[in-house]
Amino acid sequence: MSHTTSSWLAEAFAVFAKEWRTEFRTRYALNTLGLFAITSLVVVSISLGPLGAATAERTTVMPVLLWVLLLFAVAAGLPRAFVHEEESRTATALRLSATPSALFTGKLLYSWTVVLALELIVTPLFVAMMHLPVANPGLLALALVLGGYGLAAGGTLVAAIIAQARSSGTLFSVLALPVLLPLLVLAIELSRAAIAGDFVPVVPRQLLLYDASVTVAGLLLFPAVWNP
Amino acid sequence: MQESPPCQLSFQNLYRSFGRLAVLRGVSGEVSTGQTLLVTGANGSGKSTLLKCLAGLMVPDRGEISYRQDNTQLDARERRLAIGYVAPDLSFYEELTVEENLLFFARLRRTSEDRIGHLLERVNLPPDRSAGTLSSGMLQRLRWCFALLHQPRLLLLDEPFQNLDSPGQDATRSLLEQHLDEGLAVTANPGLLELPHVAHHLQLAG
Repeated sequence: MSHTTSSWLAEAFAVFAKEWRTEFRTRYALNTLGLFAITSLVVVSISLGPLGAATAERTTVMPVLLWVLLLFAVAAGLPRAFVHEEESRTATALRLSATPSALFTGKLLYSWTVVLALELIVTPLFVAMMHLPVANPGLLALALVLGGYGLAAGGTLVAAIIAQARSSGTLFSVLALPVLLPLLVLAIELSRAAIAGDFVPVVPRQLLLYDASVTVAGLLLFPAVWNP
Repeated sequence: MQESPPCQLSFQNLYRSFGRLAVLRGVSGEVSTGQTLLVTGANGSGKSTLLKCLAGLMVPDRGEISYRQDNTQLDARERRLAIGYVAPDLSFYEELTVEENLLFFARLRRTSEDRIGHLLERVNLPPDRSAGTLSSGMLQRLRWCFALLHQPRLLLLDEPFQNLDSPGQDATRSLLEQHLDEGLAVTANPGLLELPHVAHHLQLAG
């Protein structure tokens, strides 16, 4: 590995480590996302729990509910990724110090780990509370890892775009919808396949392609969005 | 001791407006190694805007900025990462300590972390104090440490002695004097300042 690449990775890791260090001290994202997800999960399980939906409908309906729940929880916390830097006026020091692509990568990795932590808590609870039989748990894990990455990458990119705007929360919802819509369709389809046990190999490839496309788009667009 | 190649910053006919409000109207100046350019003017005369343009944090509407360092011409992106910048709107992570903040920025700037202890000692700032609990004078000392962390050749100082007590001013003046052995500085302040090596004075009209 060249010196430049290792320095770039060290820079991205420094951003990632700083994000988790501040998160452990404030617990803002974990509390916001976690509380939102658990509250929604309880509402869903009371309304559509084991007895609320017919068995035939469950394979179709449950993956949709799971991903809508994850999307809303992410939308409640991820927009803060760059807005907080602008509001607390730390963005100037970051602009003077960080390579934009390394900064984006560090923030993206942090967002991904937050989403993975959220999925790790929410999904087993969802499966247990809904009495949902999963035919292929490995495939569901793959859907959560790839779909979670897509949520984090798309969310981080949109969060960077809206950082300097007023009414950033509303703008996040408006801009995130078209970016995240293809991802949600694919993640729901893969989760449905995992629950029903009918694996379609093209869907994981499409999810991977989406994740790669959003990452490349983010790395290319972020310097223009972040710098004056 | 081997001398570093000279640096030169020059800017010609800089214009910058915010909507209909023209803040910079054809501002020009230059400064070389070992020199300070002092920019004065009333509140709202465009001192901070000029420094932001020079730092690469803002793009001027018109005009040219040229900065040469180590025989290389730096563009706005390179200039932004190369300079040292002290300004009132520079803030740090309140959840982290003074030392953690500087360690984070040292890693981003890919510079040695050994310098942190030396700088904190020079400005008499406790490393383990949370940045969120710093007084305004201590925060200004931290801004100086941040600016000098990567040993920049060009320092851009916007009201650099704001909120500093007498020992704080002495410490930072001494750091500036030492910096000017091989570097250059642009200092903006509402009124005149006692500064080392002032070669040019630019008065901005309000």
